[in-house]
Amino acid sequence: MTETRKPVGMELHHAIVNHYSAEVRMLQNQQYREWFDTVIAEDIHYWMPVYEQRFARDRRPDPTPGDAAIYNDDYAELLQRVDRLLTGQVWMEDPPSRIRYFVTNVEAFEIAPFEFEVFSNVLVHRNRRQSEVYVHTLGREDKLRKTDSGFKVFSRKLNIDARVVQDKNLYFFA
Amino acid sequence: MNGSSALVDNAGASQSRRVFWDQDVYQLELERIFSRCWLMLGHDSLVPKPGDFITTYMAEDRVILSRQPDGSLKAFINSCTHRGNQICHADSGSAKAFVCNYHGWVFGQDGSLVDVPMEERCYHSDLDKSKLGLAPIRVETYKGFIFGCHDPEAPSLEDYLGDFCWYLDTIWDGPDGGLELVGPPLKSTLACNWKVPTENFVGDGYHVGWTHAAALQMIGGELAGLSGNRADMPFDDLGLQFTMRHGHGFGLIDNAATAIHVKRDGYVKYLEQTRGGIREKFGPERERLYVGHWNTSIFPNCSFLYGTNTFKIWHPRGPHEIEVWTYTMVPKNADTETKRSIQREAIRSFGTAGTLESDDGENMSSATYNNNGIITRKGRMNSSMGKDREGPHPVYPGIVGVSFIGETSYRGFYRFWQEILDAPDWAAIRANDDTWDAMWTNRNFWPERLSAKEAEPQD
Repeated sequence: MTETRKPVGMELHHAIVNHYSAEVRMLQNQQYREWFDTVIAEDIHYWMPVYEQRFARDRRPDPTPGDAAIYNDDYAELLQRVDRLLTGQVWMEDPPSRIRYFVTNVEAFEIAPFEFEVFSNVLVHRNRRQSEVYVHTLGREDKLRKTDSGFKVFSRKLNIDARVVQDKNLYFFA
Repeated sequence: MNGSSALVDNAGASQSRRVFWDQDVYQLELERIFSRCWLMLGHDSLVPKPGDFITTYMAEDRVILSRQPDGSLKAFINSCTHRGNQICHADSGSAKAFVCNYHGWVFGQDGSLVDVPMEERCYHSDLDKSKLGLAPIRVETYKGFIFGCHDPEAPSLEDYLGDFCWYLDTIWDGPDGGLELVGPPLKSTLACNWKVPTENFVGDGYHVGWTHAAALQMIGGELAGLSGNRADMPFDDLGLQFTMRHGHGFGLIDNAATAIHVKRDGYVKYLEQTRGGIREKFGPERERLYVGHWNTSIFPNCSFLYGTNTFKIWHPRGPHEIEVWTYTMVPKNADTETKRSIQREAIRSFGTAGTLESDDGENMSSATYNNNGIITRKGRMNSSMGKDREGPHPVYPGIVGVSFIGETSYRGFYRFWQEILDAPDWAAIRANDDTWDAMWTNRNFWPERLSAKEAEPQD
């Protein structure tokens, strides 16, 4: 599939990687509203589907946005999640937890003028309270649009590498 | 282990903190609760066709639930009778047989051992396959919900649910076919004792305004006033709380079924269209239940929120950890779009990244792990709210508390928890059937309250 499409050139690739670094820096600094306003497009579909563990021979189709999904948000829904964190009443985030992101394996393809499909791996390290540590790895499939105010993501699919999530919740942005 | 009376004080409405921590308490729970009670396995909708199966747990035992060629259900322990390996590693699917990865023993859809590789050459006709089927489990269903039980002496599922059936019929039978489950289940681990979420769902209307302050403020709607406990609300007139013979119970918030859902047009319309059918079929008392929001637990470890329609099984993993499974309940006969929107909203609020779920996990871990301190563990927990403002009700079965913010169903849950931990067998439990609610001594609470209400001048 990927060989028929043209990877973006070095300069554009560099710009996308930089964009991702700036994005996670905002999330690490709890600048959720800035993150939302800077990187999220108004036609966003922010999706983390649930993959059942099935036999290889099982022919049932993969999940669609009509099926159970950990995240299945549009713009207003994602904004609500951001707003919840900014109410000052999320007790489990006070004192705040610590989160660190590592974004690697960035592969970008131009799919339309000023639109790019970007694959990346994301490692998320959450550290809470005195000694709680949770580590997640995700495969990320983005569709980015290059605008006058930088890259905006209008489709983000997050594949979490766990059937049983090893955390008390996944209320973080990635 | 004896002395569970020290663990639960019914009269004083308190529990020892050891109930959330001690390994020997947990061991006794496995033997006397999880090995003897009806445990939630799923719903007909998850295994619709012959050959369909799901794998699940009963406490820490792995289980296969399988639809038979004749449409009946069987469940058996997911462990090979040869050397004990787990046989089926898929969450769900359709299978003519289950083959163990280790030596290739083949078990049929009914759990019987049907083939052993190289049987003649290796066993020389010396293997009685009829005695080596997978260990069977009792399976019964109520309104399509499937339960399993290991104890042949346990009552039927319907008797185990008991008076709770009267309530469940309202929603599980419903106007025209009731509710079904949709999966696949979301799964996550939570470092807490299994009873913490169970007790929270069975009767904690109190935490809603405070724990979920941020989410309620953001969602708005009927419950926004609870956010931060700011609104001055007359809780006595906004709902009820119920507890049953075998520890099942729920809290009802009146007229708030869909309060947690943001996009809810389809579901609101469905409820409005069907509530008349409920009134006709079950009467106005249960129409009230139908349009209310329920926070519910079925003893021991299954919980749901009717209206929000999240559906949970809290699989224990030792005394300090659970695996959370989250399904969604949807009306069987609603249109596809409405079903999907209910599932989406239910997961949005109470899924693994749920706007409300994310508030709860922290509390549940903290309520468990704080008891690792020996002095802390010697303390007790209080569940006295609304203690004398409850009793038998002329209409509603079980014991009824006057407010959805109360701890009536906490007390009922722990009353039965203690009873079943103490009881050597189900016969000893049955012996208490006529006296189980004796701890609720305010027998005239409801008759007096209702007649006083009747005497009030009408506006």
